[in-house]
Amino acid sequence: MAVFSKVLVANRGEIAIRVFRTLRELGIGTVAVYSDADRNSAHVTFADEAHLIGAGLPAESYLNQERVLDAARRAGAQAVHPGYGFLAENADFARACGEQGLVWIGPPPEAIEAMGSKIEARDRMRAAGVPIIPGVTRPVESAEEVRGLGDELGWPIAIKASAGGGGKGLKVVRDPADVERAFESARREGEAYFSDPAVYVERYLEDPRHVEVQVLADAHGNVIHLGERDCTIQRRHQKLVEETPSPAVDNALREQIGAIAVEAARAVGYLSAGTIEGLLSREGEYFFLEMNTRIQVEHTVTEMVTGLDLVREQVLIAAGQPLSVRQEDVHLHGHSIECRINAEDVSSGFLPTPGTITRYREPSGPGVRVDSGVMAGSQISPLYDPMIAKLVVHGVDREHARRRMLRALDEFAIEGVKTLIGFHKALLTHPCFVEGETCHGLVESELLAARAGEFENGRPVGGPEVGAAVVREAVRSVEVDGRRFEVRVLRPEPAFAELGRRRRERSRGGGKAGAGRDAVVSPMQGTVLAVEVAEGDDVEAGQVICIVEAMKMENEVHAHRSGTVAELSVAAGQPVKTGQVICVLTTQ
Amino acid sequence: MATTDEPRADSTESKLDQLRELRDEAEHAGTEQAIERQRQQGKLLARERLVELLDPGSFVELDRYVRHREPNFGMLERRPYGDAVVTGYGTIFGRKVFVFSQDFTVFGGSLSEVFAEKICKVMDLALKFGCPVIGINDSGGARIQEGVVSLAGYAEIFWRNVQSSGVIPQISLVMGPCAGGAVYSPAITDFVFMVEGTSYMFITGPDVVKTVTGEEVTFEELGGASTHAAKSGVAHFIAPNEKACLEDARYLLSFLPQNNMDPPPYSEPSDPRDREEPELDTLIPDNANKPYDMHEVIRRIVDDGDFLEVHEHWAENIVCGLARLGGHPVGVIGNQPRSLAGVLDIDSSVKAARFIRFCDAFNIPLVTLVDVPGFLPGTQQEWGGIIRHGAKLLYAYAEATVPKLTVITRKAYGGAYDVMSSKHIRADFNFAWPTAEVAVMGPDGAVNIIFRKELEEADDPEARRAELIEDYRQRFANPYAAAERGYVDEVIEPRRTRPVLIDALETSLTKQEPRPRRKHGNIPL
Repeated sequence: MAVFSKVLVANRGEIAIRVFRTLRELGIGTVAVYSDADRNSAHVTFADEAHLIGAGLPAESYLNQERVLDAARRAGAQAVHPGYGFLAENADFARACGEQGLVWIGPPPEAIEAMGSKIEARDRMRAAGVPIIPGVTRPVESAEEVRGLGDELGWPIAIKASAGGGGKGLKVVRDPADVERAFESARREGEAYFSDPAVYVERYLEDPRHVEVQVLADAHGNVIHLGERDCTIQRRHQKLVEETPSPAVDNALREQIGAIAVEAARAVGYLSAGTIEGLLSREGEYFFLEMNTRIQVEHTVTEMVTGLDLVREQVLIAAGQPLSVRQEDVHLHGHSIECRINAEDVSSGFLPTPGTITRYREPSGPGVRVDSGVMAGSQISPLYDPMIAKLVVHGVDREHARRRMLRALDEFAIEGVKTLIGFHKALLTHPCFVEGETCHGLVESELLAARAGEFENGRPVGGPEVGAAVVREAVRSVEVDGRRFEVRVLRPEPAFAELGRRRRERSRGGGKAGAGRDAVVSPMQGTVLAVEVAEGDDVEAGQVICIVEAMKMENEVHAHRSGTVAELSVAAGQPVKTGQVICVLTTQ
Repeated sequence: MATTDEPRADSTESKLDQLRELRDEAEHAGTEQAIERQRQQGKLLARERLVELLDPGSFVELDRYVRHREPNFGMLERRPYGDAVVTGYGTIFGRKVFVFSQDFTVFGGSLSEVFAEKICKVMDLALKFGCPVIGINDSGGARIQEGVVSLAGYAEIFWRNVQSSGVIPQISLVMGPCAGGAVYSPAITDFVFMVEGTSYMFITGPDVVKTVTGEEVTFEELGGASTHAAKSGVAHFIAPNEKACLEDARYLLSFLPQNNMDPPPYSEPSDPRDREEPELDTLIPDNANKPYDMHEVIRRIVDDGDFLEVHEHWAENIVCGLARLGGHPVGVIGNQPRSLAGVLDIDSSVKAARFIRFCDAFNIPLVTLVDVPGFLPGTQQEWGGIIRHGAKLLYAYAEATVPKLTVITRKAYGGAYDVMSSKHIRADFNFAWPTAEVAVMGPDGAVNIIFRKELEEADDPEARRAELIEDYRQRFANPYAAAERGYVDEVIEPRRTRPVLIDALETSLTKQEPRPRRKHGNIPL
């Protein structure tokens, strides 16, 4: 007899499918929800039934509590699994589920609230004896105050949105002169993403490792930890590669930070799966950072080394059952790495690349797991997270897992949108990663971007320089003496193609519209969040013109040269397209 | 044996020297002052233009030593070699073309008897060998000193333009002034290119205009590139500078056959033939009154999205241009919902009709994308002769014997449905998207006419009207009434348009459609 008859997953993409799989194994009916934009998405067809909950914008669908609850009612679901993101850490929603008679597959709303406000979380953790990074826990009110705290704690400092997470609303300030903008930006992101502009300040550790501990807690008072995950490889505070065990954690340290995590979970009366995020300094000190009260993207690597199904544990805990394992039964086997395969362009600063996936083939074979939510023909919408898939491998040790990951990355074929596959290949072959170092600075370096480019497939071999013959590439398989080869066939494109391209470029420049070299154009499709200049302002090269939000990330658009702002054509809240002229910089 | 430093006057060496000297003289016929002025205006010299236009090193000059023989007005004192035009032939992407390039630095590029003879010679050769002719115009007009002989020269060129029309492609690049009678040679040719800021075309200049009509107008306003590209439709293509103009001319040639007996040049495509475009499935707005951009449809269908648009800025309610489908050049005509709802009016009918006749003459298959609500009503149109002009488009489609493929994307209403490459005027394959509405008119108008009486008598006319409109929409505002009768061969998913069209095109490439013998038809000009 299944613990529930039907469970609704209030999410989309790979995590929805991931949860459906476990539900199916438990004999539980699966209910998907979807937005207009997701009509043809993989998670919709994967579930037993699917319900439309509104327009593409998250606020009108996946973030709309009423509509999700209405879908649960219509489907007759008994419980709701929130996945990660969207409503996963929304205490009001967790409470609303309870009020509707739905079981919430997650921690109690009180625990979400306690950990949701970073300021409150730090206070409680400090009271429970958990080590905290030096800083203030009360909200700071002004840039002036931030500057004072910076002098007191020592630069650099980090300004963080109280309700923030995942790098949103987090600004690092190295120079007191930059405090103003960082303070405003953190507040704005806090307001935009979490409806709370409160921010706090703490010391910023140089070159730390980002090490987190997975915990499980049931309603019978059992709390265990499942070892750590090392998420040091990040870009703009977004995780890209995760692994377990951490190259910097030995058994003794594991016991120590595991105990800290269990203590932290107990301190808030935690239930279900959760993660204590912390920083490990170069000297081996461990500081509590925050607790994520949800299943995490990178939970997969823990599953690989423990053999447990964390979503299964979540479901059973929610049904009131005790944990299936005791702490002493948890054994870590081998090493696991996860690479996030995002639709992003490394060569242009990890900008999301929305579009259509024209070809898609996943890797497989020993020790390879792919959690994905796409197929050939899928649209990568600018409305949502640009993650296409999570590629996870398991090996006997770190080096084995690394080589296995490289093999799997080679097998992974995605065409139509640019992805991080090339980036991961470049990173995992870099001595820095091979040695298990933190790789800070390397991730965003041009060196790595250039190497990533070399690993990418399907690029024209020649550049589109004037007069240079561009080569078109096609891959054919041939057999020579019974041995199979993949041959790249290079054919010069017809001579007229270059003329067509140049003509298109000219008309894209808009001719007289003044686009040419004077124009500042939006590098991506998105929504203008703030305009930092006014018509007639004199700007220096590199100055911020406006901030464009695309795929939930703030991107600054800079002046490419100095001049006077003219023909400013965007305002906050307005959508912009790639290549759209934002303003023109005139010179006297 | 005695040796001398100076070669004897009758030695072979001295003869070779003389040739070199003459050649050098011919190449530097322009006065320094005139060359300087040309450069200041951002204009290239006549020979430089040919170098840019043709494949490197391919130009072969003819009639280098031709000189005028006008004895009046002291003209014999200056008889530069080559006179005021450079002629010859060369290649573009390896294919032969004949060229002439008028030289403004010699006698202001004015047309003399021998000037005309040089042009006529390359035109005759081009016609005999079946090669395109490209003429670069940069001339002050007739050489007044030569009087009627100069006028005779113009007429000889016009006559040849007409004889060559529809036999070999003729392309005019206007890269300077082109005024008075001189405009009629470019006007007869298939395509006219102009350069912004430096080229002008008009029958009478601003001074005469002011004397006769009192209107004050600048050269640029009266006959500049933008004027002819957007207002008069005289210029098919405009470019921001001469280099771009010459490049565009090369690009245009890449779509054209050498003559009317050759097929247009096939080029092995890299764009997959079976490429589907899921975005076409969502391009048509749910609201039939919302516009969309027909360029988007075209770019998603054709090879590599490459589309050379003709008359980009004139009569924008219809889009015409050249593209490739599966490597075969095609002429694409599409109603443009974004401009005047894609309605047919005088200018758009004339624009498309001429483009269609060009494609038909040169074996370029036609692909028509239909979203047309009808012909534009109003006195301006009726008095302007929309009947005569609309008839040109109908005539052009009905007359064309090249493969004709049609895709109805949305509206195909009334007489405009018939005109836009319908089955009835012998299109070869007619496809429709499920969003197509093939009907006499839109649901609102139809209901108002058919049910006028019933609506007058209804208790709640508005409710009844809404009901009837919905009923009409369901029954007739779709492609199936037409498909039932075979007027539409297949209703296709928009995303499959490219593969479907390529298959239809390759099926119809062997088309033979003989017509009754006649001297020529009588298109309603």
